[in-house]
Amino acid sequence: MLSRQNKITGYVLVLPALFYMLFFVGYPIIDNIRLSLLDVNVMNVSHGEQPFVGLGNYKELFEEGVLVTSIVNTLIYTVACIVLQFIIGLAFALLFSKTFRFAQRLRGLVMISWLLPATITAMMYKFMFSGDGVVNDSITHLHLGSHIDWLVTPVPAMITLIIANTWIGIPFNMILLTTGLTTIPKDIYESASIDGANALQKFWRLTLPLLKPAIYSLLVLGFIYTFKVFELVLIATHGGPVNATQMMSTYAYKLSFELFKFSQGAAAANVMFVILFIVGILYLWMVRREEVSSS
Amino acid sequence: MKKRYSAWLLPILGIAVMIVFLFPLYWMIVTSLKPEGEIFQTPVTWYPHTIDIKSYTEQLSGSSYNIWNGFKNSAIIALGSLVIATVLAIPASYGLGRYKFPGSHIFLLLFLVTQMLPASLILTPLFILFKHLGLIGPTYWSTILANATMGIPFSVVTLRTYFAGLPKELEESAKIDGCGTIRTFFRIMLPIAMPGVVVVMVFSFLFAWGDLIYGMTFISKESMRPITAGIYTFLGFQSTSWNNTMAFGTVSIIPVVLIFIFVQKYIVSGLTNGAVKG
Repeated sequence: MLSRQNKITGYVLVLPALFYMLFFVGYPIIDNIRLSLLDVNVMNVSHGEQPFVGLGNYKELFEEGVLVTSIVNTLIYTVACIVLQFIIGLAFALLFSKTFRFAQRLRGLVMISWLLPATITAMMYKFMFSGDGVVNDSITHLHLGSHIDWLVTPVPAMITLIIANTWIGIPFNMILLTTGLTTIPKDIYESASIDGANALQKFWRLTLPLLKPAIYSLLVLGFIYTFKVFELVLIATHGGPVNATQMMSTYAYKLSFELFKFSQGAAAANVMFVILFIVGILYLWMVRREEVSSS
Repeated sequence: MKKRYSAWLLPILGIAVMIVFLFPLYWMIVTSLKPEGEIFQTPVTWYPHTIDIKSYTEQLSGSSYNIWNGFKNSAIIALGSLVIATVLAIPASYGLGRYKFPGSHIFLLLFLVTQMLPASLILTPLFILFKHLGLIGPTYWSTILANATMGIPFSVVTLRTYFAGLPKELEESAKIDGCGTIRTFFRIMLPIAMPGVVVVMVFSFLFAWGDLIYGMTFISKESMRPITAGIYTFLGFQSTSWNNTMAFGTVSIIPVVLIFIFVQKYIVSGLTNGAVKG
């Protein structure tokens, strides 16, 4: 029974938070579109005429090339991080879901890398991978290879960022996969053992397929959370050397707040929004399909 | 046979993995305690041979960028965002969890979506919006307001499941006893949902505590910027003074570590929150 009073109470409770979000997040997203079609820069941001340039900003950004580089970089970075986080996260989940002394406590400790501010993580990795840092020191002393200027060489700089972000993302993957593992009934493994399956077969034939729902949400959420990387890149490499690690977020920031081309910054952000939007739709579609199949 | 060998092998493996995993954190703290000369010694010293707390005390006296001042700024920003997020999210989550009304599904979806949107996406229009509101400058307000947008959707989504899970009989018996809607909420529902409220408060705090992008973009006065912005500036200009920077980092994670110790068991629920479907 939906009484009138009940309905009103519901709206009164929800609307303040909703209006807050619409004002500080919803409106900016719409305003991004308006801004990207104008020419707003440091001269006319507060007052003065803001000429309409249509798709001029987008055209200029795509022609200039750094935007395309940043899209490619962000995608490479995101995919590499998701794969690595997933593999290590799964290994962690498998290890710490075994019953042994300290297992719970150790699993809890993993969480700390996810809780730390990204700024701090970026700083730690910047230091470890710096020219005379502990990574180079270990490489040369253990004769594993030669000194690498990690943060100022294009590919190693990207690798450093991927390692740092993987470190942040492992707990998230581990927890989601641990939850997934607990939903798998134990007797399936027992009957598989009776049928003569070895550990590897059980992993490929049982564990992985049964983890499928958890893996789906991991991939999509992982994409969204990794794609938005900002602090890590800004601090560890600042998009360098020469845009080799420039991401969409850092490029949009640079356009707006280092070059003060606000409209171009908004245009770059919009391109980012389109990509996130497509992935988001994909996720909702998958969730819905899963709900249908499980009900 | 098999049991006995796993009794010592697995704990050792687990501990070894954790030592490697937590090394960056150890390295930060150790470096902050080393004297300048020892930091780039080759081969590296795996623990400080001489302990030097100068990088901490120097900041106290305020000779360079003041760590403790940055700490205070971060605390003001994080607490402000926490208050806004909690005050708005508790009623909203209660409404979504306990009341059925047209549009409630779309509202929940809107919160879920806004939770996933990155700050860099809305930074430019938000900057312009705050500029028009006169909030760009030596003020914490713009940063507090912006950071609350991370806490609100997270809190709404998390607390909604808490409230939705409470038995209907609670409300009904309260009604029979003559409690109105408001009294029922404050006397019965809110106290029961307290663990959930603590979780969302902790996360709202942590989101804002870790913020760099809003703080450094909206606050024009450097001495009012959060500790993360201080680290960013520090790394840009004094990249050689690693022990100071690491001391900076160590101080800034104190609240994170304290929170981790006290509410560790709730963190898992926070982590998996993004994955629950509405």
